Amino acid sequence: MPTKTLKWFYVGIGLILVLVPIVWTVAGSFRTEADLFGHPAGLIPHQWTLHGYRGVWSQLPFLRLLGNSVLFAGITTALTVLFDSMCAYALARLNFRGRDVAFWLVLVTLMVPFQVTLIPVFVELFHLGWLNTYQGLIVPRATSAFGIFLFRQFFMSIPRELDEAARIDGAGHLRIYWRVILPLAKPAIATVALLNFTNLWNDLLWPLVVSSSPDMQTLPAGLALFGGQHVTDHAVLLAGAVISLLPIAVAFFLAQRYFVAGISTSGLK
Amino acid sequence: MTKARPWLFMGPSLLILGVFVLWPIVQSLWYSLHDWTVGAAEQPWVGLGNYTKLVHDPQFQRALGNTLIITVASTAVLVAVGLGLALALTSENIVSRVIRSAFFFPTVISLTTVGMVWKFLLDPDIGLVGGVSRALGLGAVNWLQSTALALPTVIFVNVWKNAGFVMIVLVAGLKAIPGEYYEAAALDGARRLQLLRYVTLPALRPTMLFVTFIVTIQSLQLFDLVYVMTGGGPLFHTDTLVTKLYRDGFANYETGYAAATSWVLFIVVVLVSVFQLRIFRYNDAD
Amino acid sequence: MKNKRVIAALAGAAATGLLLSGCGGSDGGGGGGPVSLTVWTGFTGGDRPGYEQIVKDFNAAHPDIKVTMTVQPWDTIQQKLPSAWLTGQGPDIAAPSSDPNAIAQYVKTNSVLALTATGAGDDKINTDQFAPALVKEFTYNDKLYAVPANYATLSLYYNKKLIAKPPTTVAELQEDAAKATTGGKYGLVLADNNTIQMWPVLQWLSGGDIVGADNCSTIGTPEGQASLQPWVDLVKNKKISPVGLTGAEADSIFSAGKAAMEINGPWAAPGYKSAGIDLGIAPIPTGTSGQSVTLGSTAPLAVSAKTKHPDQAQQFVAYWTSKTAQLKFSQSTGFPPLRTDLADDAQLKADPTVSVFASQVPNAKLYLPQVPNATKVDSDAYVPLIQKITRDGDVAGGTASANSQINQLTGCSK
Repeated sequence: MPTKTLKWFYVGIGLILVLVPIVWTVAGSFRTEADLFGHPAGLIPHQWTLHGYRGVWSQLPFLRLLGNSVLFAGITTALTVLFDSMCAYALARLNFRGRDVAFWLVLVTLMVPFQVTLIPVFVELFHLGWLNTYQGLIVPRATSAFGIFLFRQFFMSIPRELDEAARIDGAGHLRIYWRVILPLAKPAIATVALLNFTNLWNDLLWPLVVSSSPDMQTLPAGLALFGGQHVTDHAVLLAGAVISLLPIAVAFFLAQRYFVAGISTSGLK
Repeated sequence: MTKARPWLFMGPSLLILGVFVLWPIVQSLWYSLHDWTVGAAEQPWVGLGNYTKLVHDPQFQRALGNTLIITVASTAVLVAVGLGLALALTSENIVSRVIRSAFFFPTVISLTTVGMVWKFLLDPDIGLVGGVSRALGLGAVNWLQSTALALPTVIFVNVWKNAGFVMIVLVAGLKAIPGEYYEAAALDGARRLQLLRYVTLPALRPTMLFVTFIVTIQSLQLFDLVYVMTGGGPLFHTDTLVTKLYRDGFANYETGYAAATSWVLFIVVVLVSVFQLRIFRYNDAD
Repeated sequence: MKNKRVIAALAGAAATGLLLSGCGGSDGGGGGGPVSLTVWTGFTGGDRPGYEQIVKDFNAAHPDIKVTMTVQPWDTIQQKLPSAWLTGQGPDIAAPSSDPNAIAQYVKTNSVLALTATGAGDDKINTDQFAPALVKEFTYNDKLYAVPANYATLSLYYNKKLIAKPPTTVAELQEDAAKATTGGKYGLVLADNNTIQMWPVLQWLSGGDIVGADNCSTIGTPEGQASLQPWVDLVKNKKISPVGLTGAEADSIFSAGKAAMEINGPWAAPGYKSAGIDLGIAPIPTGTSGQSVTLGSTAPLAVSAKTKHPDQAQQFVAYWTSKTAQLKFSQSTGFPPLRTDLADDAQLKADPTVSVFASQVPNAKLYLPQVPNATKVDSDAYVPLIQKITRDGDVAGGTASANSQINQLTGCSK
């Protein structure tokens, strides 16, 4: 059928556009500079080299950076999921004065570009004595307006009869939230967790601003050092990109079943 | 006790957002009314001086124009491309699931990495794009250095990065459409295109608005991608409001002036969002 | 397991405590353990080991001071340093940026300490031995606010496979650049943004300049225009270089063997050699006036006004610029010495790389020295001007508008 051919043609072009750059990146991290310049039309290395990976390994305290990244992105994501879902529960399930105002305030924060608040936030962290500390790194990012928004939408799609049944059994709000709503919200949790984790993992500016100590540097911050001023070593830069991408890719392929299923059943409406 | 409960639930989030987003944005309004410089002993009050200066700043006009172009074009293309993919890949079989994952993958890559990789790919000397077009005898185009092509190229990469996200959300929306709608329409003898137009799209409207809202905000705040790929050049042809305020604030240390730009951006974002959310909430109430 | 570690830590702490009390002092800079100083710099290039060596040697020679240097991209420093220094959280010492007149902003906000420990010997800042232009660049209201962290001149890098003999006059340079542009190779690769300044050198060679001593633009004068025209023609018509390159992009093209010549500083040499380029380094050719000229480039090293250890910090910057440290630094990095008393050093003169860069120190000019709003003159006027005229070729129109823009920024009242 022509529509079917058309459909697969469209999807096929899209796939090529998406996959080729990714393959090129991975392959490029194994290519020599001469190979890159000599065969710009090539996708696969003509001669393989580990120069890029060796460069990254020898110049970075790699495990330390990795550990910091996991710590920062992991703890912050866990807190975000907890705080966002609690906040969303109140917004979706409780009736109280000021609910609309609270919801709008949350939405407004979604509209603030990070660069705008950078300097005031830095000064605040200073007054709190939180610069160069893990709480300074984690607490300000431990909630996200987008997550609250997503949870709220999801919770509203859960039939209210379920809460009422629980309430008849004498459950309070905390119990309903923890025992009824959250277990049903696994797909939303997966979605918010994955999106937050990738955002935090990829964040470069924030860790740099909060900590000046090399002991607290995260992976992207460490890798940014290779974007040096003078000579671009493509293999090292691409190797850095692949390395920082790898954990995300693993997390993504592990979580994607829940995630795709999650965002599908969440019925965002 | 009961009155306090909602605020207990919302406490942590609201406190964090209040202290680390809302209060700082108020402070930046205060900065914007001064000739504010980080660390200076005096921060002279200039009233609306920074704002009147903005109106006459050709760089600002250009950045505002670029930001709007990027936003409108990215959003339109993203929703169209994402919808096409979502419609093509709704089914739950293994093939479409794998393909969906592939399309979604760019979403999890950092913007800086995406920018760097595309910058390399588009480089006329080492990039695959130039290499292939030269091999085909078309010669190499310097995409990011052409004043005419740089902005469309940035928009393209922005679409490349986010199309998968739009697709996933729309797939979710499609799945939420009750099957009875289609059955009823099929009984009426509707053809495929008619189904799309009269059943699918209307039912998908809330999801479309949601995704439009998110993509619009993201595009209005576009920074990393531009910063890495072009730095706002050539000749400010890809300069956005955020790259400009970043340059003013962090390279030239004109914090007050940068804060004024950021407030203009903030107001633009709020206006656009309120407009979109009005429609959105209207449907929400149904 | 866990307990053991805690006990070990406690024991360690107790031992340190005993040692401290044994010395009889707490802190306060004098008696206690070593004073810790932090330094931020943006030297991520091939010259990085040279700076790290200075720190290492300093620590070895000063057991009472422990200096830790953090190297991060200039961009990052630029984002963090102003607010970090404002809140007293920043490093004791930093090289804020390599931009022209970068220190001015920090002087204005009282973020940097006026350096007073000047004099003779390795523990004092030997200002009388610095190149005079450098002292002038870092002096505001008769007070010295920074020392040069380095001093580089630019030379002509050429690929011996593509150019047999380096040009010695500007006319030859233009001729060679056009001739070598063939078969997918560029004759003279030129960066115009995020780069060490190459275009000003071309202008100086052809008898023009950007801003005069009175802070008024000279770019729109007949000399200014005439100094740009031949180069614009070469780029636009002869395609001796792609347009709009950043420094890093231009460097990659040269290091891939796709460019015959490039104007660059000593930091680039190690990379080019390891990339397998048959590398030649020659002085910049003589200009139309018959005189030689090149760009001198320096990054300031300044002390925070809020440091708790101003004396030790000054001691460190003094050591950094000392004769001992600089001799070693020049030998390992190929940078010309920033001190005049090393200009005739026999060891340096014998070094083929250092000697080329060092021989040009007398001809070196700084880019926009002490020009008000220098960063903006560069980013808002000069860079866009070059980007515009290399694309549309309208030198007269471009320079006219750049001229008035520069005058506005510098406050020239002409």
